[in-house]
Amino acid sequence: MTPAIRPRLLSRLEVGGGLLVAVALLAVPLVAAPFQTITVCYGLVFAIAALGFNLLLGYTGLLSFGHSAYFGVGAYVTAELVKYLGWTSMEAYVVAGIVASALVAALFGIVCVRYTRIFFGILTLALSQVLWSLALKLFWVTGGSDGLRVPTPTLLFGTLAPTKDKMDFLAYHYYYYVLVLFAAAVAVMWLIVHSPFGKALQAIRDNETRAEFVGVQVRKYRWIAFVVSGAFTGLAGTLWVPLNGLTTPDILYWQFSGRIVFFVVLGGFRTFWGPIVGALAYNYLETYAVGFTVYWQLVLGLVLVLLVLTLPQGLAGAVEALSRRLRGAPAVA
Amino acid sequence: MLAHHSFTTTAELKGEHHMVPEVSRRQFMERFGITIGALGAGASSLLLPGTAQAQTPAPGPKPKGNIPDKPYKTGHMTFFTGPAAVLGEPSYKGHMLAAEEINAQGGLLGKRKIETLKADEAAGTDANVKELRRMKLSENIDCFTGVISSGNTPALGPVAEELKVLTLFDDGCTDFLFEKAVPNPHYVFRVTNIQSADGIMAALAASTAWPKITKIAHIHPDYSYGRNAFDHFNIAMKKLSGNIEVVSEAWPKLGTTEFTAHITKTISAKPDLLFCSVWGGDYVALYKQALKYDLYKKMKVATTLAFGVAPHALGKDHPEGIVAGVHANYHFLYPAGNKWPLNAQFVKKYYERWKEYPNFEAEGAYTSLYMLKMPVENANHLVGGWPEDDAIIAMLEGLMYESPAGYVYIRPDNHQGYKDAITGFAMQSKDYPFPIHDPKRVITVPIRSITAPPGYAKGEPTTTYKWIDETWPRVS
Repeated sequence: MTPAIRPRLLSRLEVGGGLLVAVALLAVPLVAAPFQTITVCYGLVFAIAALGFNLLLGYTGLLSFGHSAYFGVGAYVTAELVKYLGWTSMEAYVVAGIVASALVAALFGIVCVRYTRIFFGILTLALSQVLWSLALKLFWVTGGSDGLRVPTPTLLFGTLAPTKDKMDFLAYHYYYYVLVLFAAAVAVMWLIVHSPFGKALQAIRDNETRAEFVGVQVRKYRWIAFVVSGAFTGLAGTLWVPLNGLTTPDILYWQFSGRIVFFVVLGGFRTFWGPIVGALAYNYLETYAVGFTVYWQLVLGLVLVLLVLTLPQGLAGAVEALSRRLRGAPAVA
Repeated sequence: MLAHHSFTTTAELKGEHHMVPEVSRRQFMERFGITIGALGAGASSLLLPGTAQAQTPAPGPKPKGNIPDKPYKTGHMTFFTGPAAVLGEPSYKGHMLAAEEINAQGGLLGKRKIETLKADEAAGTDANVKELRRMKLSENIDCFTGVISSGNTPALGPVAEELKVLTLFDDGCTDFLFEKAVPNPHYVFRVTNIQSADGIMAALAASTAWPKITKIAHIHPDYSYGRNAFDHFNIAMKKLSGNIEVVSEAWPKLGTTEFTAHITKTISAKPDLLFCSVWGGDYVALYKQALKYDLYKKMKVATTLAFGVAPHALGKDHPEGIVAGVHANYHFLYPAGNKWPLNAQFVKKYYERWKEYPNFEAEGAYTSLYMLKMPVENANHLVGGWPEDDAIIAMLEGLMYESPAGYVYIRPDNHQGYKDAITGFAMQSKDYPFPIHDPKRVITVPIRSITAPPGYAKGEPTTTYKWIDETWPRVS
């Protein structure tokens, strides 16, 4: 088989651009101040959640308004491991976070994937609110609205203990740790959406009836996508906790789900890279909006309105459209 | 505060802790140094004396050494939006008043003007943690101040220690902060009274006014503050009244402004007393809704924070006769008249600047900046030049400062501020467009009588709870 016949997994542009971004991300802790590095680190974590979310929205055509649930499960499982078992290993947190969020997604998914459109959205929202109320009311287990504190974990199976200056540790060791997992998540998601399974999801998105006619088991495929999506978001929740130092029910609330939707709309859900760009951009936008004005909600609201009116394809979508126009390629619908 | 009342019984001297001594209510009051009404000497004292001069504080001693004229950056975080803003806005105004006064004298040590960055606490705990990091790492603040919610200080305290940023919390006064979240504080201090005092003051006021109450209903915000108030009210009432019974509990979420279900549940339980620690805009909504259901005619009511909001946030419809708490900290009419000129001066300056009266948050934030100024001057006097944070911290530990509310003492072991606690009973007066404390019934208690002393073994849920349980006599 000659390579020319086989469709390439990555275009030359993607390889080049990816390398450039990878070098830039690797250089962040070396050139940027700790605060900037930590802000990028938050962005990378949110980007993992956005990638997971977009498997449902962009590739399967399901708008979930309850992804806070899986992010929260990842975070709370970590906090409970600290509280009850005294575990300190990040690897243990990551495995536990992924498994727990996948399990919860599997359970919720059984109910949710039977429906589509608004019914799917409302169901996911309702189920995530159940977890939120539990976190709020089971005060003795979850700390109620005060949440649970999570100390800085040890990395690489206990071989890398936190240094005395927590900020330095987060802005260097932990950043690279997150970066590696982010790269892995991107690679895995790339493979998923370009696999036959991913193509089947896109077929479901475009025409459910036709997909069923060609033999795709629509409900089963949706359920698998739901579980994978939940697991990615759960991984993000687990990685977020040490960065934040504590977890509160805020991250289980529907507004946090809305924030994940915002990431993806901001970046553009029709491209693979859109959610990543959106998560990084949103994180910067929020950090600085809160810092510079007490009317930060107004700022975010205005951005969202302007975005929908002027860049309905999101940041990444707009850049892509622009580059197509510059190259004289036909626009895609 | 300095008067000494001995509590020790023979049984305690012998180490027989199992026997709880019994005392009469009168003896109890005397031993605790509880004062009722002595601060307000008649109705005339309700008005601020015209003689109170708005003096600018005397400038400190001439600074030693070379002082840079780089601005001193503070980050002030408080609620600017949402139902809690009626508590939060005054905090910022108190802070700014102090900053403007200090800057009018050239700034700290006459050279460093205070610059203030503000941040909205309503952004949520996680966003607040991020914002504190941004303020320190990106804006390079020298000092962090403010913070209202007890849900936020335990999250921000450890972060402030990690960032090594000098921090003076004006509120967020949960006992949990220095008992568990930051057990060995170095950079973090808190100026206003400890939270356990709040529930205890409400219990003291309620049991003094209505000794026969036994059935108690509770409405508290569902987070650490509400639970703290619930616990300390109950343990104090157990000592003060003996056979109390909790007939109803309601735990609305913080930030709720719809209380109908909680009000009807409370009324149907037929309690003698409702104890309530709902605060801010939540409280304003609660009392207005409770009025519609005639709740105040059906039971006595004690609160921890009815008068915690900016005074003008409450209306002429506010019920009279209820225990109207001020977070056990401060109400602008007390110390009354010219009894403590610092208060009359502060209220006058605050009114002139903002055209409104201060609440306890305003006083706390105002005092915080002055409690920074004094150690900076003292440290400069000793070492010359601009003092390192460690020198300022050493001066803050054990500092006794005269604030508008009275003497404030910063305990060196836990960095917590203590002052004598105060509460009162609501009444409407023709002199003000909002309710005030009945001057004949203001209750003040030496803080030492209601909070665990240094060195007392830690306990659950708080050390003060354990201390009350183990050392208070029971009123017979």
